[in-house]
Amino acid sequence: MLRKRLITVLTFNNGTLFRTKLFEPDYRYTHNFVDSWSVDEVVILDITRDGEGDRNKFLDVVRTFAHDCFVPICIGGGVRNLDDVGELMKVGADKVMVNTGALERPDLIKAISRAYGAQCAVVSIDAKKNDAGEYEVFSKFGCGPTSKSPSDWAREAEDAGAGEILITSIERDGSLQGYDIDLCREVSDSVSIPVLGLGGAGNWKHFLEGFQKGGLSAVCTQNIYHFTESSIVSAKNFLTKSGIEVRL
Amino acid sequence: MIGIVDYGLGNLTSVAGAIEKVGFEPIITSDPSELARMDKLILPGVGAFGDGMANLKSRDLVEPLRDLVLSKKKPFLGICLGFQLIAQSSEEFGDHEGLAWIDAKITRLAPGEGALRIPHVGWNDVHQMRKSVLFDGVPDDGLFYYVHSYRMQTSNTDIVVGECDYGDRFISIIQADNIYATQFHPEKSQLHGLTLLKNFLEKG
Repeated sequence: MLRKRLITVLTFNNGTLFRTKLFEPDYRYTHNFVDSWSVDEVVILDITRDGEGDRNKFLDVVRTFAHDCFVPICIGGGVRNLDDVGELMKVGADKVMVNTGALERPDLIKAISRAYGAQCAVVSIDAKKNDAGEYEVFSKFGCGPTSKSPSDWAREAEDAGAGEILITSIERDGSLQGYDIDLCREVSDSVSIPVLGLGGAGNWKHFLEGFQKGGLSAVCTQNIYHFTESSIVSAKNFLTKSGIEVRL
Repeated sequence: MIGIVDYGLGNLTSVAGAIEKVGFEPIITSDPSELARMDKLILPGVGAFGDGMANLKSRDLVEPLRDLVLSKKKPFLGICLGFQLIAQSSEEFGDHEGLAWIDAKITRLAPGEGALRIPHVGWNDVHQMRKSVLFDGVPDDGLFYYVHSYRMQTSNTDIVVGECDYGDRFISIIQADNIYATQFHPEKSQLHGLTLLKNFLEKG
């Protein structure tokens, strides 16, 4: 049986590993938190704002990380065209994540899917409730309203050839209050490709909710662990006892 | 030296990294004369079947590979798309002819009417159906990383050494003489994947 996945998301600002809160770099990690053995997959995001910082610093860090990482790596942030994708594939990406780039140019999803296969095209959607109380997709690190609903955009992305969707709750980022289950459900019900959830996990029960109520294929975390061997193992033990099949 | 066939698709560096990790020297190349000097060959790859065949043809690799693997019996490992390309045909985005080294065809995964999602992405079992040197040190039902929307079907069950469940049962490893191939990614399947890869490199 296919196991549910636990994915670690690492965010880099100008080549330095940070955690984020409400989509802003919050504090920097100074230790090697990444347990690349217990985790099922790794997402690495460059959150350096456009035009700031040195992309090569990010690429160097990723290259080094990828060399000793024997689980799949998805890399995103700042991907605007196929050249950007090729650059990330060269430093060790197995999949590439697109967000604003795909909103600005929906052809990009099709182009990646065509060139590297659907499994390579992960579409990341950042959403929050707008003033009307409805979920809305935001681009540009959560700053640019798009008037698209997350479920419509997810369906569009699937039609264009996306292999997976990552749905992130902007408001839950760094909150430790749990995933936005309604948002996850809305998106996972709207597509037949795997949906990954990010934003808000604060304890192991939140993972369980994400799988059972949110319909997620994978739960992503950025802040919850301080990445020791025992914490991921303990999360997986908890899930196993709760009836969720994970890779131990 | 281990030749990784470069035909312009997929993450070859991760396969090379895994080969180094288990103590062998990988060479990434699309030069047939260099491939001929290699001890073993690996055909990795992700992406669409039609593109894979088109790339092998445009690099004039189809005949040299056939000669090295089928005539000269060089040990060969196909991974993911490399697993599928050795079949006779695929129905991915229309009908395409494959390398046709084994009697098999590639069809879309049919996970049934249930809510199973395609692509099949993540960690899933390898049920060991037959003995294989690939399994030395790998537990039955060990977990490996899969990512694919199509699967292999064959009437020649003798070559099936591993299977996986996703709705239907499908073939996850085949072995036919010097030809080995896996639907999953051993280079991305941590300890079990590295063990399986090492088995191929040492004993395959």
